[in-house]
Amino acid sequence: MIRPRVRKVLRDVWHHKARTLLVVLAIAIGIVGAGAVLNTWSLLRRVTREGYLATNPASATIRTDSIDAALLERVRRLPGIRDVQARRTVYGRAMVGGTWRTAVLFAADDFAGTTIGALQPVSGAWPPADGSLVVETSSVEYAAAVVGEPILVQVGEAEPQSLEVTGITRDAGLAPGWMEHVVYGFVTPATLARLGAPASLDLLQLTVEDRTLEWEAVRRIAYDAKALVERSGRRVQNVDVPEPGEHIHAAQLNSLLFTQGAFGVLALLLSGFLVINLVTAMLAGQVREIGVMKAIGARGGQLAAMYLGLALVLGLVACLIALPAAAVLGRWYAGFTATLLNFDTTGYSIPGWALAVQLGVGALLPVAAAAVPVVRGARIPVSMALRDFGIEEGGDGPRILRRIGGVTRPLLLSIRNAFRRRQRMGLTLLTLATGGAVYLGALNLRSSIRNSVGYMFGEVLRYDLSVGFARSYSAARIEAAIGAVPGVAAVEAWNGVRAAAARADGVLGNSFPLGGIPAASRMVAFPVDSGRWLTSADSNALVVNRSLRQGEPEAALGAELTLVIDGKPSRWTVVGIVTSGPGATAFATREVVARATGDSLMDRAMIQAEIAEPGAQAELSRRLRGALEAQGFEVGSSQLMAESRRVLEDHLLLVAGFLMIMSQAMIVVGGLGLASTMSLSVLERTREIGVLRAIGARHGAILTMVQAEGLVISIASWALAIPLSIPMSVILGRTFGRIMMPVRITTLVPESSGMLAWLGVVVLVSLVACAWPAYRATRVTTAAALAYE
Amino acid sequence: MHPTSEALITLKNVSRIFPGAAGPFSALSDVNLTIDRGEFAVVVGQSGSGKSTLLGLLSGIDRPSTGEVVVGGTAVHTLSEREMSPWRGKAVGIVFQFFQLLPTLTAAENVMLPMDFCDTWKSGERRSRALALLERLGVADQADKFPPKLSGGQQQRVAIARALANAPALLLADEPTGNLDSKTSEAILVLFQDLVRDGQTVVMVTHEQSARHLASRTITLCDGRVVAND
Repeated sequence: MIRPRVRKVLRDVWHHKARTLLVVLAIAIGIVGAGAVLNTWSLLRRVTREGYLATNPASATIRTDSIDAALLERVRRLPGIRDVQARRTVYGRAMVGGTWRTAVLFAADDFAGTTIGALQPVSGAWPPADGSLVVETSSVEYAAAVVGEPILVQVGEAEPQSLEVTGITRDAGLAPGWMEHVVYGFVTPATLARLGAPASLDLLQLTVEDRTLEWEAVRRIAYDAKALVERSGRRVQNVDVPEPGEHIHAAQLNSLLFTQGAFGVLALLLSGFLVINLVTAMLAGQVREIGVMKAIGARGGQLAAMYLGLALVLGLVACLIALPAAAVLGRWYAGFTATLLNFDTTGYSIPGWALAVQLGVGALLPVAAAAVPVVRGARIPVSMALRDFGIEEGGDGPRILRRIGGVTRPLLLSIRNAFRRRQRMGLTLLTLATGGAVYLGALNLRSSIRNSVGYMFGEVLRYDLSVGFARSYSAARIEAAIGAVPGVAAVEAWNGVRAAAARADGVLGNSFPLGGIPAASRMVAFPVDSGRWLTSADSNALVVNRSLRQGEPEAALGAELTLVIDGKPSRWTVVGIVTSGPGATAFATREVVARATGDSLMDRAMIQAEIAEPGAQAELSRRLRGALEAQGFEVGSSQLMAESRRVLEDHLLLVAGFLMIMSQAMIVVGGLGLASTMSLSVLERTREIGVLRAIGARHGAILTMVQAEGLVISIASWALAIPLSIPMSVILGRTFGRIMMPVRITTLVPESSGMLAWLGVVVLVSLVACAWPAYRATRVTTAAALAYE
Repeated sequence: MHPTSEALITLKNVSRIFPGAAGPFSALSDVNLTIDRGEFAVVVGQSGSGKSTLLGLLSGIDRPSTGEVVVGGTAVHTLSEREMSPWRGKAVGIVFQFFQLLPTLTAAENVMLPMDFCDTWKSGERRSRALALLERLGVADQADKFPPKLSGGQQQRVAIARALANAPALLLADEPTGNLDSKTSEAILVLFQDLVRDGQTVVMVTHEQSARHLASRTITLCDGRVVAND
C-alpha cells in the first residue's frame, strides 16, 4: 500500500503538471547538452584509440627505392621490429566532372594480406583487382566516385586509363581526401604498370615489437632500419616516425571536445540553476502545507526525503528522455568529427561508463539542485509556515529604481518587481545572457571564419587556380605559355621538394614540403609572425611556418639548420616564421630550392584569373589545360581555389553551427527559467494582484504587468549578453584557431543584425515563457486573492 | 468523564515577546496556568490578546521567551526542533480555523497522514482506524473524497479526525468554528463536548459565546495576561 505522504507527492506532481514538465525538461536539456558532448568524446576516444590501434598503424615509414622481398626480410629480422611491409605511392590525376584532380594511388603486392595500417573495406569489392580502382572513403565525395562506374586516371605522360571503381575502403592513417583535395585510390602493381607508372614498391612500413616504446626509442629502431636499407645500396628519401599510439589529430580532437565539453557542463549548470528555481517555486506553493505536516508530526528529515525523493524520480524520468537523445546527438556529432579525422564510428558503441555518468548526474543533479531549497523549506518553523500569506517579503530592488521617472506606475511596478528577488532574477538573467553570449559568439566566430577563409584565399593565397605538371619545365616556358592564355591575369612557376631536418643527434625529423617560390611572389603573402619574408638576395634562407616550428625544435628563428633533400644534406638559415595553415611547411626562393635539388626546372604554376566568377574560372582551367597540352606540357593536376574554399568553409562552419545549436539549447533552458521565475513571481504575489484588481486593475493591465516584468529580465539579459559575447568570441576564435585553422578574430562586437536577431529571440522567448504565468495572474479573482491563505 | 486533578498542562511564568519595527511586542506576559486532564478549556479574549500565541506555545509551534511550558510531563520549551515534531505528532492534535487539509489527499488519507509520519499503528491498520475516526465524526461517507469537494463543516470534521489520529492526550483548536456558519459551528462545538465526555482534554481558542457554556473552564486573556480563569 502506498503511504499517504508518497501519494501526496505523486498527486502534487500530477496537480502541477506544467511545472513538473518544466523541471523534467530543464534536467533533460542539461543532460542532453552535456551528455551529447560526453558521448561524442567517449565514443571518439574509443574509436580513435581502439580503431586506430586496431589498424596496427606503422611505427615508422621509410621512403626508398624499389623494395623487394629480400630487403623486407632483412629489415624484419632487425632487433625490435615486429613486422614490415611495402607499398608504392604514385601521384597522378583523376578526371572529376571534366576537371583533373590530384590523385594519390597506393599499390601493394597483397592488399588482402596487409597487416600494417590495415584497411577497412566499406563497400564493394576488396582488395582491388587488376585494372580496377578502390577509392578511399574520405575521397569519395571529392572524386564523385560511384561503385561500378569508371574514373579516368592518368599518371605522368601515359595514356589516361579508365579504371572501374569496384569498391570503397577506409585508411584511418590518411588525412581526409576532401580536406587535402586529393583522390586516394588503391590499385594493384599491375594496374600501376598499365598506367605507365613503375610497379615497384617504395614505401617501407614497419612496426616495432614493443608498442609501449617512446617516440625516441621507435625512432632509433627506424634509423637502424634506414641504415640497413642504405647499406643495401638504396637511397633513403625520408623517414617518418609518428607519435606512438596517437592518432595524428588526437591533440586537436581533445582540444575541440574540451571546448565543447565546457559548453556541455555550462548547459548542465544552467539547467541546475533552473531546477533550483523550479524547486523553489514548487516549495513556495507548499510552505503552508509543510507547516501543516510539521504541525501534525512530520519531521524535517521526512519532509526533505519526500521532496528530494521526488527530485530523484523527476531526474530519472528526465534521464529516460535525455539519455537516448544525448546518445543520438553524440553519435551524430562523433560521426561528423570522425569524418574530419577519417574514422568511422560504425560498429562502436558509446562506452557504458559514459551512459552511467549521465544517468548518475541526471538523477542526482535535481537532488543536488533541490537540496538547498528543500532543506530550507523543511527547516522553516511551523509558526512561520502557517503564517505564510503568499506575500514575499523581498526588497524593492536597487535604490536607482526608486528614482526612475517618466514611466507609468504599472510599468514602474513591473520594473521594480523584476528586481525584488535578486538572486532568482540573477540566475535567470545569467542563463539567458550566457545563451546570448554563446549565440553572438558563435555568430562572430562564423563571421571570423568566413573572413579568415576569405583572407586566406584572397590575401594570403592570391591565386585562383593551380596547375601541377607531371614533368618539370623552365619557369620562363611555363609562364609564357600560361600567360598567353586569354583570361589569365598573372602566373608564377614554382618548384618544390620534400625535406627533413637533421637533428643534433644525427637523426632526421619527419619530412615536410619545401616550396620554392619567387621572392617577390604576387601569389602568396603569408603573415610573418617573426623574422622576415624571402628576398631575391637570399642564398640559403628558409622561412618555416608555425606548425613546422612547433614540431621541429631545430627550426628556431635565426637557427642554422641542416635539411636533407633527396638524401643530400644542405645548410639553411631560418629567417622567418609565418602562418600558413595546419600542416608543417617551409618556403625558400625557387632559385635556392633549384640549387638544393640540382634541378632548375619548375613543376607547378599558380595563376590569377582576370574574372573572379567561379564558373568562368572553371572554364579558364579547361582552356588552360587544352592550351598547355597543345604545347606539349604534361599537366598532372589542376585545382580551382574557389572549390577548395567552398569545401573548407563548409566544413569549418559546421563547428560554428554546432555552437549555435548549443546556444539554442541554452535559450530553451533560459526560457524555461524565465517561465518558472514568472510563475513563482505570480504565485508569491497572488494577494498583491488581488489588491491591484480591487483598486481597479483590469485583465489587460495585469497581463501587461507580468509580461513587462518578463521583458525587463529578457532585455537586461540581452544587454548583458553583448559585452559577454566579446570574451566569448575571443575564446572561441582562439580555440578554433588552435584546433582547426588559424582564425583572425575580425569580429568582436556583434553585428547589429545578430544583436537584433538575438533581441527578437529573447523577446519572443519572454512573451512565450510569460504567457502562462500572465494568464494565471488574470485568473486570480479579487475575493480569492484577498482570502488567499 | 470529568476532569481529573492530574495536571496535563502547566505554564510557569511564561512570556512571549516578538521583535517588531516599533520595538519589542509582548504577546504574553508572565502567564501561569494549569489545565487538568479531561478538561474542556476555552480561551477567549479580544484580537491581539495572545490567544493564538498561547495555543502556539502549548503545541510547541512557538517557544516562550521566558518561562516553562510542560505538557503531559514533557517540558516542551526544552525540546529541540528534531524532537518537537514527533512529540507534537503523538501528544497533541491541532485543529485549525481554515481546516488546513492537504488538498491532494482524500479525507481518509489526510487522517492517515499523522500515523504515517509518526509511525503509529501498523500500516495495515491505519486506514481502518482513519475510517473509524471519520465514522465517529459523522463523515465516513466522505472518506474517499478530496477536501475541495467537501463542505466547510465536513472539512472541519475531517480535520478533527486527523487531529485525533494518533490518540493525542491534548486536542488544541484555534478558532475551529471561525470559518463556519452558526449551525455547523454549533454541531462542531457539540462534537468537541462529546470528545471531552469521552476523556479527551481540549483547549480551544474561540470567539463563540456559546462555547463558554459547553466548556469546563474559560480562560480570559487581555493584553497578554490572564485576567480571568474560571
